[in-house]
Amino acid sequence: MRGSVLGLILGMAVVTYLPRFLPMAFLSRWVLPEKVKMGLGYIPVAILSAIVFPILFSDGGKVGVQPQYLLAALPVFIFAWKVKSLWASVVLGMLIYWGLAFLL
Amino acid sequence: MNKSSFKEGIKAALPIVLGYLPVALTFGMLARKAGFTSLEVALMNLFVYAGASQFLAIEMVSKGIAGIPIVIATFFINLRHLLMSSNLSLYFKNTRLPILGLLSAQMTDESYAVAISKLPEVKNRPPYLFGLQIASQLAWVGGSIAGAFFSPVAKSTEWGLPFALPALFICLLVLQIKSTHHFWVMVIAGIFSLLFKWALPGNWYILLTAIFASGVGMLMEMVWRKGQ
Repeated sequence: MRGSVLGLILGMAVVTYLPRFLPMAFLSRWVLPEKVKMGLGYIPVAILSAIVFPILFSDGGKVGVQPQYLLAALPVFIFAWKVKSLWASVVLGMLIYWGLAFLL
Repeated sequence: MNKSSFKEGIKAALPIVLGYLPVALTFGMLARKAGFTSLEVALMNLFVYAGASQFLAIEMVSKGIAGIPIVIATFFINLRHLLMSSNLSLYFKNTRLPILGLLSAQMTDESYAVAISKLPEVKNRPPYLFGLQIASQLAWVGGSIAGAFFSPVAKSTEWGLPFALPALFICLLVLQIKSTHHFWVMVIAGIFSLLFKWALPGNWYILLTAIFASGVGMLMEMVWRKGQ
């Protein structure tokens, strides 16, 4: 184990841990104003959209179009909406993506 | 510790495990190529446990960049957890600080997203969240060790594996559309995330989109409540 790598891992661990821990530690102790709670209620959908759409509309890290992702995503959207199963959505998405590799 | 809710949490982690294993295998292989030992790979996955920043770290190390720049980049990449942690804090009002310390160490985009899709189970039940998160983290650590050991054998671009995590996130997003407000926040966040990603370096777009779009959601709800 090299000391420089250990230092790197520790440094990365500390700066990753603080934003994960501090809000949990403090906000769970405070009574939050109604408006802030309202805003926090939209964080899940906002973050997930900000993760999903750039994955679907990206081409090698840049904004663009990659047909295999988009074509696999559409049926997963519909399936997830109707069935609401995480497991089945993941498996279906993988199957379609895999199948598309032969077609595209 | 409540055993049954711990077990339920582990079961809820299965889609994440499926998504993590191929990514972790890839990480283990690339890290070995960048000169990390198997032990170093395992320790990094255990203590940092943040995929995007780890991939960036091995990329930078293999380019000869080391130390402080990687740590700074890691900080900014993982700053997005600030909002997820703020959101989760709403549901753990009665939990002791050391337990919150452990739970927050294991919070990732995926475990957060699954947790908020199962709020009745998660709310004030640390064993459930712990089960969900420990199973996910074991997949991440175990998968990377396997990748580090078997780096020449495995090929992680087959069988639709690259689409496992995108499909997981799509389903989790769909589960969050609970009202027309949520739908419009999704549309706004979708458009602005692409704009921000196009205009800004790194992954600032996630944090900015989350703040902007949830702010819009809050305003929409305030206007709507006044009209009631």
